[in-house]
Amino acid sequence: MNYQELFNRAKEKGIKELEVSIITDKSLSITYYNGEMENYSSSSLSTLSARGNYNNKAGYVNTEKIDKSTIDFIVDKIIENAEVNNSSDELIIFKGSEKYHHKKVYSHALENTSPSVKIELVKSLYEKTKVLDPRITDVSVSYSESGGIYEIMNSYGLKLKSKTNGFFIVVEVIAREGDTTKTGYKVVNGQDLNILNLDKIASEAVEKTVSQFNSIIAESKVYPCILANNVASSLLSFFLSHTIADEVQKGTSMFKGQLNQKVASNKITIDERPLDKGLNFRSFDDEGVATNNFTIISRGILKTYVYNLATAKKDKVESTGNGYRGSGKVVTSFANCFLKKGKKSLDDLFSIMQDGIYITNVEGLHGGMNGQSGNFSLQASGYLVENGKRSTPVSLITIGGNIFTLFNQVKEIGNDLELLGSVNSPSLLIKEIAVSGK
Amino acid sequence: MINKKLALEVLNLALSTGGDFAEIFVEETKSETISLDNFRCETSNDNIIFGAGIRILKDLQSVYGYTNDLSRKGLTTLASTLASSFHGERIKTVEELTKKKVQKKHRPKIYLSTISKKEKIDYLLKGCYAAEEVDKEKIIRVTAAFTSTSQHVDIYNSNGLIISDDRNRGRIFINCVATDGKQFETGGFGPGASKGYEFFKDEVDIVNLGKKAAELAIKLLSAEECPSGQMPVIIGNGFGGVIFHEACGHALEASSVSKNLSVFSNKLNTQIASPLVSAVDDGTIEGAWGSENVDDEGHATHRNVLIKDGILTSYLIDSFNGRRMNMKENGASRRQSYKYEPTSRMSNTFILNGKSTVEEIIKKTKFGLYAKSLGGGSVNPATGEFNFGVTEAYIIKDGKIDHMVKGATLIGSGAEVLMKIDMVGNDLCRAQGMCGAASGSIPTDVGEPTIRVSSMTVGGRGEKLN
Repeated sequence: MNYQELFNRAKEKGIKELEVSIITDKSLSITYYNGEMENYSSSSLSTLSARGNYNNKAGYVNTEKIDKSTIDFIVDKIIENAEVNNSSDELIIFKGSEKYHHKKVYSHALENTSPSVKIELVKSLYEKTKVLDPRITDVSVSYSESGGIYEIMNSYGLKLKSKTNGFFIVVEVIAREGDTTKTGYKVVNGQDLNILNLDKIASEAVEKTVSQFNSIIAESKVYPCILANNVASSLLSFFLSHTIADEVQKGTSMFKGQLNQKVASNKITIDERPLDKGLNFRSFDDEGVATNNFTIISRGILKTYVYNLATAKKDKVESTGNGYRGSGKVVTSFANCFLKKGKKSLDDLFSIMQDGIYITNVEGLHGGMNGQSGNFSLQASGYLVENGKRSTPVSLITIGGNIFTLFNQVKEIGNDLELLGSVNSPSLLIKEIAVSGK
Repeated sequence: MINKKLALEVLNLALSTGGDFAEIFVEETKSETISLDNFRCETSNDNIIFGAGIRILKDLQSVYGYTNDLSRKGLTTLASTLASSFHGERIKTVEELTKKKVQKKHRPKIYLSTISKKEKIDYLLKGCYAAEEVDKEKIIRVTAAFTSTSQHVDIYNSNGLIISDDRNRGRIFINCVATDGKQFETGGFGPGASKGYEFFKDEVDIVNLGKKAAELAIKLLSAEECPSGQMPVIIGNGFGGVIFHEACGHALEASSVSKNLSVFSNKLNTQIASPLVSAVDDGTIEGAWGSENVDDEGHATHRNVLIKDGILTSYLIDSFNGRRMNMKENGASRRQSYKYEPTSRMSNTFILNGKSTVEEIIKKTKFGLYAKSLGGGSVNPATGEFNFGVTEAYIIKDGKIDHMVKGATLIGSGAEVLMKIDMVGNDLCRAQGMCGAASGSIPTDVGEPTIRVSSMTVGGRGEKLN
């Protein structure tokens, strides 16, 4: 498609401002299951998203069909959608930031590594995992890689481009003992295949699985608790969603009116770090705003809400560079958020807690978590901790509580921070959690 | 969307290295989403999903790829990249492609694309205002949405067939947030169908739906926290069927059964549920949300009886996993879009009516939880362990509904719960949802009459009962 033609046609039809973003993505995925290559897939895809200002209202359109015939579709639908839109949010097409912190984060080495090397890696990880325990019945190893170019351009002449790639490996283990089946997995991601320690990945996946055998349903009571990093990260993302300015302005955030107030334990500092090199790096957001690293919560004090252009304007502040294009309106989200790690290892945390429960997995976040009130009741599994050591595994329990209370009751912070997604936390030692079991 | 000659060329290229089956799935889907927030149209959006997926099978191996470059170059490049992962000699050639006739059962009377955005907004607003009217102080936010999709698919395969289908669906959502100044609660509904505007005009009472959503959110404000422990649980009809979907439906999908990953692997013709339970997966129901004329491999959809009087009678089988099981597919292969390789999935899955009335079921329960309406849930297919959030629940005491509770979660294992169903009601109804799994997020109906499970673990933040 000739983009200039699109901009011209839009202007002719009365679209005052127009922004177009194009994602071009190539991906590869390989799954090795029980000794066989079960799945191999490859893709290439371009998606165009456009939003325009027609009579001072926003109109949106997305299309995977990008050819000459789509120009009219894009222009007509922007107008149709703008005509019915009466959002209180102003559409802001951005003229550009003064400075962008561009960094080279694309790994050509990863792209240039041939698929056969990647297949060998998956195979070898499979072999290493399979032999670690006689109770293992099934092993699945999947490798996925994606690389893409993100371009954004608008009628003010702003033109930005970024290129990123990375891989994601999941090892899933199923083990059986008598009538009992246990499952476990280990995820690793990154950009450099050469630094992977396959033996360590395999043994962690297996340990996570077979250590659950002979689990008991824990006694129902209130326990001191350690949340594993993956569990703490999941809960943290619900907690952090209340810092999003949209929710604050609509009155549905628990942090409304809490700026510069204590909202969490003073042990907690949370930073958004989009400019750290790595998988989550981005130098500009989906509205073209330059990103910066900043602190959201410092020693328990809420320092700022998180903004896109429209919500920032309402509060008369600058956007924090957290605008994300969904399929329509720009929303606000996190790129690379971290709860600052502490100095204690997981073993230290066990030893400090002495007796309690260690939760390594929760299920059913979409049903058991009330994101609005922060109340949760979640199916969980993990281990008892006795005399400062991990002991009997527990499963089929629920943990219940409230995320706002929970993040105010953090006593110690682990050092086991891993990049698991866009919101990440190390393991946390919490004063107490209600367990419902037997 | 691609011509026959190109399809033949691509299929034969795909088979050039020894594949025994090849398929091209071409799709163009137009969708529209209109979202309202507190009576304002916040977003109105149009979307085109467009592209092709190519699949090659060789024995128990599959390769899959997709692209939205449907030019000759785009498709042949993809086909040869995929073919290069096999290293054999050609064993199959496709000589000709013939169009297979498909009976179109789910045609809308009034296509949603012919209804203006303004009219859809006015429709939603009726529900929103009715919700606000319930209590202008407590209801602080009403959101609503109207989504419609129209999917056209052309499937070309190495059995020499071209199969086309059109799927037209519409769904609305209405959700309310209520507050008493200290806490927030929500209530909402989301009916949909493979029908046109006639469904929303004639079958959905939008005003009543708005009212019900608001009333539920407000009622929850004063509900007590649910107690925890083991107790009999009555699960309400309609969306309560998500229990069967999660706890049993997923475990009957060939994708896990064929690999012995399911608790129901190798259990055909054995008792897996209480004799009171019969259940079906029926992709043929006219106009239902999860219905289609053909599945995403082009096979006609079926009414599959999964459980008859407690005996497991059928799995949900796609042709690839069917190879591993030595069983024929039964029209259950689905995918979100051309970006996903198809696999065995549910369509409209529900427990059939029994003989008890709801009143009887409640009356015969001395103490327990009445989970009238469930939220989402998930299940681990290997262990069968599941969890559900409960959106509307009551404590039953001495055969009567005593008081409302909130924050309940039901947890357990599918195999166990199915055996413990000790009463089945006669008030079957279905409700709509989106089901997420390996081949993406697809529309499915869940459903059941009111049922009672003799004992289940209830998680909640209230007192512990036993």
